[in-house]
Amino acid sequence: MSFVYEEIIHGYPKEKRYTLAILQDIQKRNGFIPREAMEYLSQYLGLPVSNIYSIATFYKALSLKPKGKHIIKVCSGTACHIRGSGTIKEELLELLGIKPGETSEDGLFSVEVVNCLGACALAPVVVIDDKYYGNMTKDKVKSVIDQYKEERVHG
Amino acid sequence: MKLKIDGIICEGREGETLMEVAKRHGIHIPSLCYRKGFEGLARCRLCLVEVKEGSRRRIVSSCVYPIKENIEVTVTTDEIQRMRKNIIMLLLLKAPNNSYINKLAEEYKVAAPERYMNPLDDENCILCGLCVKACEKMGTNAISFVNRGIYKKVSTPYDDASKDCIGCGACAEVCPTNAILVEDNEGKRKIWNREFNMVKCSLCGSYFATEEAYKLMQEKLNDNEEPICNECRKKIAADKLKESFANIY
Ligand code: SF4
Ligand code: FES
Ligand code: FES
Repeated sequence: MSFVYEEIIHGYPKEKRYTLAILQDIQKRNGFIPREAMEYLSQYLGLPVSNIYSIATFYKALSLKPKGKHIIKVCSGTACHIRGSGTIKEELLELLGIKPGETSEDGLFSVEVVNCLGACALAPVVVIDDKYYGNMTKDKVKSVIDQYKEERVHG
Repeated sequence: MKLKIDGIICEGREGETLMEVAKRHGIHIPSLCYRKGFEGLARCRLCLVEVKEGSRRRIVSSCVYPIKENIEVTVTTDEIQRMRKNIIMLLLLKAPNNSYINKLAEEYKVAAPERYMNPLDDENCILCGLCVKACEKMGTNAISFVNRGIYKKVSTPYDDASKDCIGCGACAEVCPTNAILVEDNEGKRKIWNREFNMVKCSLCGSYFATEEAYKLMQEKLNDNEEPICNECRKKIAADKLKESFANIY
């Protein structure tokens, strides 16, 4: 079934101050904010599309493009940085052929670079969906990604 | 109420900003993002001045500072001059090849540290927001700030040819650094990735507005006359004036 953003939008009063809340809600339930949803919301709230687009591109939590099936967070916080998260990040991005914030061609992975995942003792850390992978190395990155590709991880 | 700017006694109304009062009294305060009719942005901070209230001194942005009775304002102190130089240096890094910013830098004897300079950078926008405000007030809210941090820019949604844009050019008109590209060519105008057909003045025959902008203006003014450009309008007004004078004398 296709995503019904109308329903989400109509769940909110027609007031400008709900713009962000509605966008967050759409993001949460759909993984990204479709262009049509923005246009519909613009009609609903009587707000220019440009204003909504401005908000949608400002907040990191909101995304304009579909996210991958798996969200990979690479930490580049202080502890992870010192323990070599840079090379891990590069390896990962090269493996998937994307830049931070993008989604791999097969739609399987999105990569986000974040600052500290609160697991510094495990540095360098990569989190996939809700699973933590600590003490990462270049080789480990590859084998973990392969596991997901072959759908050997279930969470 | 009365206040002093650079020793000159000025008169202002409650709610007026320092910038407005200074302007009316012919006192110059440097600014980039202040423009009558589009006040309140306070983004460039070139308009910093020192305000002395009793024994308290502070530095404020004059374009948004509401005047108070008996304050004493100094437009430029050593400290403020230093701050303005810093701001201009940052602007220069943002738009290193912009002629207006370069002129400003020259005037203030500012050079940006070379290691941060990208001589190939062709950015002209300093993100003052005047164009967004102009589009909101005179146009159709077609443009807005997009993204954040170092990726922040002014654009239409998805950088597309905007459905809302009417090609009025108000944004380009107010831009202090001439950052918005408008190409007028043989009855067509290109702006914000969209092409518009233009309307000819029924008197002089020059293209003067896009069809969409002209239509909106007509709707707003409720008029159905033949299209007449600004120049010709002015001429007509002047001629009428002359006529009425001729009738008096
Ligand atoms: S394009 Fe011009 S008016 Fe618009 S924000 Fe940039 S500098 Fe300001
Ligand atoms: S720095 Fe990476 S988890 Fe804290
Ligand atoms: S003119 Fe006051 S901040 Fe730009």
